[in-house]
Amino acid sequence: MFLKTVFACVVFIATASSFAIEPERSVIQILTYRQSPDWSAPWRFDAVQRAGGSGFVIRGKRIMTNAHVVSWCRQIIVRKYQDAKPYIAQVEFVAHDCDLAILTVEDESFFDGLPTLEFGELPKVRSTAVTYGYPAGGEEISYTRGVVSRIELSPYSHIGNRRLLTVQTDAAINPGNSGGPVVQDDRVVGVAFQGIPGLEGAGFFIPPPVIQRFLKDIEDKRYDGVPLAGAGITSLQNPAYRARLKLPDNNLGARVDRIRTKAGSSTVLRADDVILRIGEYPVASDGTILYQGNRVFCALGFQLGQSGDSVPVQIWRDGQAQDVKVTVEATTDDQREGNQFDVQPRYFVFGGLVFTPLSLDYMRDAGREGAEAAAGELNYELFFRSRETPELAREEHVVLSSVLTDPVNANFTTRGRVLVDRINGIRIENVADVIRAFTTSTNTHDVIEFGKRGAFETLHHADAVRANNKILKTYGITQDRHL
Amino acid sequence: MKHCLLPTLLVLIATFSSFAESPAATAPSAWEKSILRIEVARKAYDYYQPWNRRNERAMKTGIVVGERQILATAQDLSDQTLVRVQKNGRGKWTTARVEWIDYHANLALLTAEDAAFWSDLRPANLSTKPPGEGAALQIVRWREGKLENRQAEFTQFTVRESDGSAINHVQMELDSEIRDAGSGEPVVTDSRIAGITFAQRGRACRVIPASFISSVLEAHKSGNQRGLGYFHFYWQPAENPASLAQLQLTGEPRGVLVINVPERLDGDAPVLKPHDIILKIDGFDVDMQGDYTDPEFGSLTLENLSTRNKWAGDDVKMKIWRDGKPLDVTYRLPGYDFQNSLVPIAVRDQPPDYLIVGGLVFQPLTTPYLQRWGSEWERTAPFRLNHYRSDEATKAKPSLVILSQVLPDKFNIGYQEYRSFVVNQVNGRRVTSLTELQAALKQPKDNFHVIDFVPNESLQRIVLAAGDAEREATDRILKRFGITDAVQITSKATAQK
Repeated sequence: MFLKTVFACVVFIATASSFAIEPERSVIQILTYRQSPDWSAPWRFDAVQRAGGSGFVIRGKRIMTNAHVVSWCRQIIVRKYQDAKPYIAQVEFVAHDCDLAILTVEDESFFDGLPTLEFGELPKVRSTAVTYGYPAGGEEISYTRGVVSRIELSPYSHIGNRRLLTVQTDAAINPGNSGGPVVQDDRVVGVAFQGIPGLEGAGFFIPPPVIQRFLKDIEDKRYDGVPLAGAGITSLQNPAYRARLKLPDNNLGARVDRIRTKAGSSTVLRADDVILRIGEYPVASDGTILYQGNRVFCALGFQLGQSGDSVPVQIWRDGQAQDVKVTVEATTDDQREGNQFDVQPRYFVFGGLVFTPLSLDYMRDAGREGAEAAAGELNYELFFRSRETPELAREEHVVLSSVLTDPVNANFTTRGRVLVDRINGIRIENVADVIRAFTTSTNTHDVIEFGKRGAFETLHHADAVRANNKILKTYGITQDRHL
Repeated sequence: MKHCLLPTLLVLIATFSSFAESPAATAPSAWEKSILRIEVARKAYDYYQPWNRRNERAMKTGIVVGERQILATAQDLSDQTLVRVQKNGRGKWTTARVEWIDYHANLALLTAEDAAFWSDLRPANLSTKPPGEGAALQIVRWREGKLENRQAEFTQFTVRESDGSAINHVQMELDSEIRDAGSGEPVVTDSRIAGITFAQRGRACRVIPASFISSVLEAHKSGNQRGLGYFHFYWQPAENPASLAQLQLTGEPRGVLVINVPERLDGDAPVLKPHDIILKIDGFDVDMQGDYTDPEFGSLTLENLSTRNKWAGDDVKMKIWRDGKPLDVTYRLPGYDFQNSLVPIAVRDQPPDYLIVGGLVFQPLTTPYLQRWGSEWERTAPFRLNHYRSDEATKAKPSLVILSQVLPDKFNIGYQEYRSFVVNQVNGRRVTSLTELQAALKQPKDNFHVIDFVPNESLQRIVLAAGDAEREATDRILKRFGITDAVQITSKATAQK
């Protein structure tokens, strides 16, 4: 329903501004200096990198861009069309799950005389749109026209573990285009954000429904996130399965295959419920809904509103249709399975042993140093454990990331990249447990047990305590912990 | 064994080679009558289409070692349909047969019925001592009708897994410029065989040493068919003195730390416990790295003490340190079978097992199945399936069944993209083998088969029609895809073991 409101508003704006449309004047060049942490040595940051992107001016003296353009930034500089002056900008809101961000500029005179761009609706496939931005390969603004090729749910690679509505176009979208507006009939119908390496003639942009949901989400000055249904939904096309559920063979309904053990589990839906309708959208047997003329996966029906919304859903259970309300929730429970941004990794160093939570970021940074075989167990614990044996899963898995060599630990044969099972008999469920296990022990020795094979190492407790400050100093670590 | 058959010749050659600059120039003639070529025709299976088989040909080298007896490695001899041998490196092929084979020791004995074949052949002797530093070693084989003889340099003795088995035993590593060796070529020194090759990577040749071959052949000859045993526990070096202090070990740092003792499938007591320190095995002191001093080979890892003149079922005396004091224990060596592993590392002398129901193809999860992902399979096969290889088989979960693919038909529409899921339950019954799957499929629920997979991010359940509808569909699918049998199960059931 809110889409209709937006539509009306858009018509009004279009009329008002139809005489002076020069979108390039509202397109901003963004230059950044970014620095991301080394997740396997979590107190340390990599070298500062210069990067760039695009953005555009929206209402309220704000710039919209992609989250990935401004993640990990130490400094953001924005420049106007054909204006050499650099201005300093800050991130006001960032939405890593849908790869959008809002910037403000310290010197508000930046916005003087800049027209704001208004949003259009989801473009039609086969229509054309122009992407504006400052892609690599030159200094000046660039325009590329492309056809809207298809519209579906696709992975958002910035966070890595969300699939949201995406528009594919054959316009060239290159690094630097990110955050730039995709314009059709003088209105923004998307924010350019990603491509597929090696796939030419396929750029992707974030469409208005995702953008509008984000803008509404931050109206309360807080970003909550894209809500999820908390259930895994799959197609239901086999006649036998339909017959067993006593469901008419009418090509309607998708099956709830599993309830997520993490990431906002649903309390209403159950495995083998059949979803017949989500909100106003009937669900077909292949798991799709017809959304503004596009067949897209039905999870979209749960993603259009805000976290905490109650979505009316018609299900088929026990041989009959029922109306239920499914509360959708945004969650960060699964954040370690995706890419994390703008948070310093948590860690604890004791006796030269570096403990940090297991995450995708950690896996990637640790993998940089080799050792593929050791990665298998960590990979399993991070991505499979909570699904297969949730009773054995931990709140977070803690790894011994590395051992900073010192006489107290020089004889360790296990030197990092392993899962910590127990310390002094305490099962380690999070980094705080590690601290508790070391600080509450009254034994002469601390015993650290690893992984599923039960390898273990022992530290002389008093020696480790004595060595601690020296080790931190030697390796340039200011704090023994960050929680 | 016939170690003493040719003492004069041995002395002669030894003397001769002691002053000859190049023994290679004369040695070949001595080996012409002992080294044979072996041609193996074998069935090879396609684990992606387990009903298919094709013919494969492999060439190996064999050595006459006794009365009508040819020694070879076990590699490439499984699933054979015809084995032939050839002498002089050329000419007529004579039909042979495998008399005895041990895949875990990687050894086989072949024979040929044709008496005339043997007339001018002469058995070679296995060396009784390992080659010393700087010994003159050669690798010998037939190549294009001539005996090829290449120098090889001894590098080291190691204890590693045998090729195609999980059993560890002593091996010899050589450096040689020979190419494409590793299919049973003898390594000779003076007039004796020091070992036979089984692998080569770059210049490094891996060799089964003569004394290991002798001990396995002697056991076979004396009627001991128990096979090799192994240590079914995990240990780590005891290089961290704090760990030894914490376990109250007195005296010099020594021994290794037991860290994991999996359930024994043969029902025997595990004997060892995590955090035991193993100080001695079979009378040998174990050092902090887990090595002992072998009287024959020098420093070797303790795993070798499970195969050093020991066999499955034998008792091995160990001295351990537990609860602050020494303790003598007796460890009975379990026998190794491919089925001991949750994901068997090999399947020999049988076609791949499978079961097709309504076009859904179920197979046991095995390493040969994973290997169909090609030479990089450890990286490219589905992660989850691959990762099961690090799990132990238990009585409750001795093996795994997977849905490997769906042969498309209107009966299974909606499921055709599904593959690589591990089966958890079928019709409410736990399924760990195709035999259990077959039994579970006899108990449909309200004329439906309900197949539940181990939880994953794609699909947890499939429902199929049971009864006549399923039988008709299966028949139709078999016909259309040119498959003769819906079921092929030759593996022994392990669930009851």
